[in-house]
Amino acid sequence: MTGFDAVRLVAMREVRERLRSKMFRSSSAVSLLVVLGVAIVPSLLSDGDPTTYDVGVVGAASAPLADRLQKAVDQLGEDARVNRRDVADAAAADRLLADGDLDVAIVDGGALVVNEELAEPLEALVHIAHRETALQRALSEAGVTGAAAETAMQPTPLPVRALDPPDPETDAREAIMFAGTVLLYGQLLGYGYWVASGILEEKSSRVVEVVLAKVRGSHLLAGKIIGIGLLGFAQLVGFVCIGLVAASVSGSVDLPPQTTRIAVELVAWFVLGFAFYACLFAAAGALASRAEEMQSTTGPLTLVIVVAFFVALGVGDEPGGTVARVATFVPATAPLVLPIRSAAGELAVWEALASIAIILLATYGAVRLAGRVYAGSALNVRGQLKLREALARARAR
Amino acid sequence: MLELIELTKRFGNTVALDGLSLCATPGRIHGFVGRNGAGKTTAMRIAVGLAAADSGRVLWNGAPVDATSRAGFGYMPEERGLYPAMTARAQVTYFGELSGLGRAAAKTEADRVLSGLGITERAADNVDKLSLGNQQRVQLAIALVQSPELLILDEPFSGLDPVGVDVLADVLCTEVARGTGVVFSSHQLELVERLCDEVTIVDSGRVVASGTIAALRAGQGAHRYRVVLDGGWTTWADSVRGARVVSDERGEVLLELAPGTDDQVVLDAARAAGRVLTFDRVTPSLAELFREVVPR
Repeated sequence: MTGFDAVRLVAMREVRERLRSKMFRSSSAVSLLVVLGVAIVPSLLSDGDPTTYDVGVVGAASAPLADRLQKAVDQLGEDARVNRRDVADAAAADRLLADGDLDVAIVDGGALVVNEELAEPLEALVHIAHRETALQRALSEAGVTGAAAETAMQPTPLPVRALDPPDPETDAREAIMFAGTVLLYGQLLGYGYWVASGILEEKSSRVVEVVLAKVRGSHLLAGKIIGIGLLGFAQLVGFVCIGLVAASVSGSVDLPPQTTRIAVELVAWFVLGFAFYACLFAAAGALASRAEEMQSTTGPLTLVIVVAFFVALGVGDEPGGTVARVATFVPATAPLVLPIRSAAGELAVWEALASIAIILLATYGAVRLAGRVYAGSALNVRGQLKLREALARARAR
Repeated sequence: MLELIELTKRFGNTVALDGLSLCATPGRIHGFVGRNGAGKTTAMRIAVGLAAADSGRVLWNGAPVDATSRAGFGYMPEERGLYPAMTARAQVTYFGELSGLGRAAAKTEADRVLSGLGITERAADNVDKLSLGNQQRVQLAIALVQSPELLILDEPFSGLDPVGVDVLADVLCTEVARGTGVVFSSHQLELVERLCDEVTIVDSGRVVASGTIAALRAGQGAHRYRVVLDGGWTTWADSVRGARVVSDERGEVLLELAPGTDDQVVLDAARAAGRVLTFDRVTPSLAELFREVVPR
């Protein structure tokens, strides 16, 4: 049997047995629900209906102000409208305000009544309307009426020339990237943990000694990481596709044209990031011999990923900043940071190439480390080993 | 044939193996006995490639052992281990594949071995749902799945109930009849004496006795006699030339005769001392032999 066969057999067992396991199935189902939730909920929250301002009108003298308010709100476009209600008297208006049926009441053209306060942007709109009412009256007294008066009160808006206009797709792209970063972080951490616990499971059940009598430690390690990685990869591809389709169908987001590129890069960086992190998780799993010990051996690594995640969120706000540039060349943060910078168009080609070279080099180091730690600790089934002890044992084996 | 030649191994300041040699031949059962920590497990781990010797050689049919030859070894470690959440059948199939069988062949062989061990009806159950006895059988099935040329079993009888002992003993006899070589370690010396053709006794990483059971029991030319005289006289034995008193209890003398000593001369000496009730040649059991060659 060649080394390739050994790695393939180990990897296939990982895939087959994990697909069978209840824990894997239920955690995948939960993740899928979260992905669907993130993709669909925004469309449910923004129901597409315009904001409605309920305005009570008391007395005929209030009519001109109410008319102007209507016009001012109409100018905002489709997002807002005024629901005008004629109210018999001030007392009736007070009741409606107290019950929350009105946002504001105009009493006899001279006073506004609100329940607590006049909320923005209604406050500004009412004041514009008030000013326009006064202006209309003055113009009318000066003999200017009709279209001429209307033009004076609401002139054609000034054209705006932007030197650096914002990309209309920025919001959509940032939303996708944020969801993608969370997903990538979850997969790296989750599947890294699967690797560590898979290694530990073999140690704590003692089966590792039977396996290592048949397969070299490095092949067992490689097969395990590749098998679990394949599952994580397939699941990530599935989540990305399902998430994007769900978001686009439900109308949560209009997919920008670079969506495919963003998705492909995200998945590619999972491969690079997982290779690096999985080796370290494997070493951490090998140092423990019981589940409780694994908490402490994987702790530092978990912390590193969490920090990398927050760095990546920061980079999302400032993809061209110093932090972003430095994080590009740190193996622990690069997988989470690079897709964001690339999507924002802030990543130079040389930076991407250098970053890939660095993470490949770091992964090589992680592979060597994991191999040595594993060799020194695989048959130690009692007690937690320190990193140094495991390396010393690897030399003495 | 497996040959361990002059193996040495140190763990820090502890000497685990100190020039240990052992030879396992096809179609024979080799017992490997010694106190805890004598080096049995280390020697077996080196044989299957789980550890490397500091010096010495491991040969399989005359050539240094490698991954290919090891694929033909069935191994059962002292610390039993199975994947708890895997079915018995999937598990045995997996190890069949790791031993070089194709997937289809591994499945067929797994079913054959499991049925031979009488656990076919539990083969689809996860291992952690099986009784301890059935788990032991699955463990054995893993060692047997690829029809090994050599079985290396570390304490295979420990923890087995009497029925389990008989099942395993039958399996070993069947395997040996097939031409498989078997090496197993055990503290159950009566069992070793009953099953094994050859024995190696180790202490502190060194072989202190080895050979066929018969040869070991017969001793290297030194024969033993149990003599009882009427009235319980024992002091007569001290002055017999060529005879050494091994023990002297309750009127019963155990004598060891130096090579070349005529037992009839000893009998005459006994008769001269009194009326001889018993004059019986005895062969020591393995357990007795063990106590003699392994210092307390």
